[in-house]
Amino acid sequence: MTARLPLRGLFLPVLLIALWQVWGFGLPEKSRAPLPLEVVEAAARLIGSGDLPNAVLMSLGRVATGFLLAGSLALVLGLLMGYIRTVERNLDPIIESFRPVAPIALLPLAILWFGTGTPAAVFVVAYAAFFPMIINTIHGVKTAERRLVQAAQTLGLSRWRILQAVILPAALPAIFVGARLSMGSAWMSIVAAELAVGSKGGGGGTGGIGEMMFVFYAYYIELNSIVVCMITVGLVALAIDHGLRRLQRWMLPWA
Amino acid sequence: MGMNGAAKLALANVRKEFVVPRTNEQVVAVEDVSLAVEAGEFLVIVGPSGCGKSTILNLLAGLEMPSGGRVEMDGRAIEGPAAERGMVFQDYALFPWKTVFENVEFGLRYGPRRSTVGAGERRERVRQYIELVNLQGSAQKYPHELSGGMRQRCAIARLLANEPEVLLMDEPFAALDAQTRIILQEELLRIWGEVRPQSKRKTVVFITHSIDEAVFLADRVVVMSSHPGRFIRTFEVDLARPRNETVRSDARFSALSQEIWSLIRDEVYRAAMTGDGGQG
Repeated sequence: MTARLPLRGLFLPVLLIALWQVWGFGLPEKSRAPLPLEVVEAAARLIGSGDLPNAVLMSLGRVATGFLLAGSLALVLGLLMGYIRTVERNLDPIIESFRPVAPIALLPLAILWFGTGTPAAVFVVAYAAFFPMIINTIHGVKTAERRLVQAAQTLGLSRWRILQAVILPAALPAIFVGARLSMGSAWMSIVAAELAVGSKGGGGGTGGIGEMMFVFYAYYIELNSIVVCMITVGLVALAIDHGLRRLQRWMLPWA
Repeated sequence: MGMNGAAKLALANVRKEFVVPRTNEQVVAVEDVSLAVEAGEFLVIVGPSGCGKSTILNLLAGLEMPSGGRVEMDGRAIEGPAAERGMVFQDYALFPWKTVFENVEFGLRYGPRRSTVGAGERRERVRQYIELVNLQGSAQKYPHELSGGMRQRCAIARLLANEPEVLLMDEPFAALDAQTRIILQEELLRIWGEVRPQSKRKTVVFITHSIDEAVFLADRVVVMSSHPGRFIRTFEVDLARPRNETVRSDARFSALSQEIWSLIRDEVYRAAMTGDGGQG
């Protein structure tokens, strides 16, 4: 029964796509509606030429850079904020006043400072990745079991050793939640940032997936290719989250 | 109280108050408590739940500071937790991300002796203590894969591997079933070194609400009453060591148990009927 469920779940989507295609046969030539078969064709073309894989790799590289920069800063600050009251008292107001500012709202600033290339995109991604990571790290530190800290204290560990050997591993499950949310938010904002930056270079070899979408939308008005990009964005997000979950299961076998 | 003058651990007119966070109400957990524990002595504090016996242990561990009076070890004030006073908790408090081996190794690896005990010696010592508590088949398991009794054995090995001078045990067997409890009580006496002379044994302060357990284990039983927590009487347990199952049917064993029970019965009834008490 559980094995049949996913197949049954596919029934309605497949039916809708088929209906959509049938409806499409009745449309005049040059209509702006993307059609399933043409989307598949566009996908084959974009993958075959290497344009789509290259664009995805470009965007992933930017996301990884921004995520690693922001993630490691957020991890260190989050550990200290959760552990030391004075640090939290001083940093919390600053962080909370930046948090409601949407990453994409920083784009004008990023473009003025860094231009329209990779550094601006990385800046926006890093900003987006920072908050989920730091908030979950603080939460993880604060909810670390007091008993475990006491056990370590009575074994004679110093305050800093306890942070390293007890608080950090106890907070890891929460830190992983932070990393997954952070990656999700980084990937969403890279697409938005690249879309907004547009492409001077014309997509292709140097741009990311968002820039590629911009080119299809602004220069070619190629809806089928835009849909291919949309689907790709979703699939990549799924793959990232799946990968992080597997990494978590592998790294935290006890949790 | 100590026969040879200096006590290993001492409480002098100790008072401990808490402020209840939500109501800001002041609660006196422990009032005017004095006690001297001899080196090598197995002292058990018994009392109804909520009498403040865990507070006494936390004070001795240095996890809490007294509101009044003095808490000392070897004549010096206890100012915080230290490796020389190890503790075992009722809920085991094992590190869930560490295997049995790594848990037992924890104090030697991250504690104050990490630079004086080399890796080889450390592994050897850990193996030794794992064998002492009969966990050699489970060294690579994680705590969640163990039964309650095995977890507490692991916690005891973790404590002993760190080689503290004083063992503080906070109702270590309270969460276990009756059979496992009896077995672990005998095990504990064996591990503690019942057959050795007192000068070669570690000092133990053990908290329980089980009178049987107290009489079976202790050299001396201190009985507490609650609201506020006070020591009401001390009993010398003059049963011969090493002790085993037959001690429980000894007339002296039941007489002592009866006497202690009659001391705290009224309070236990009151607590049971009104739902009074709560924190250990």
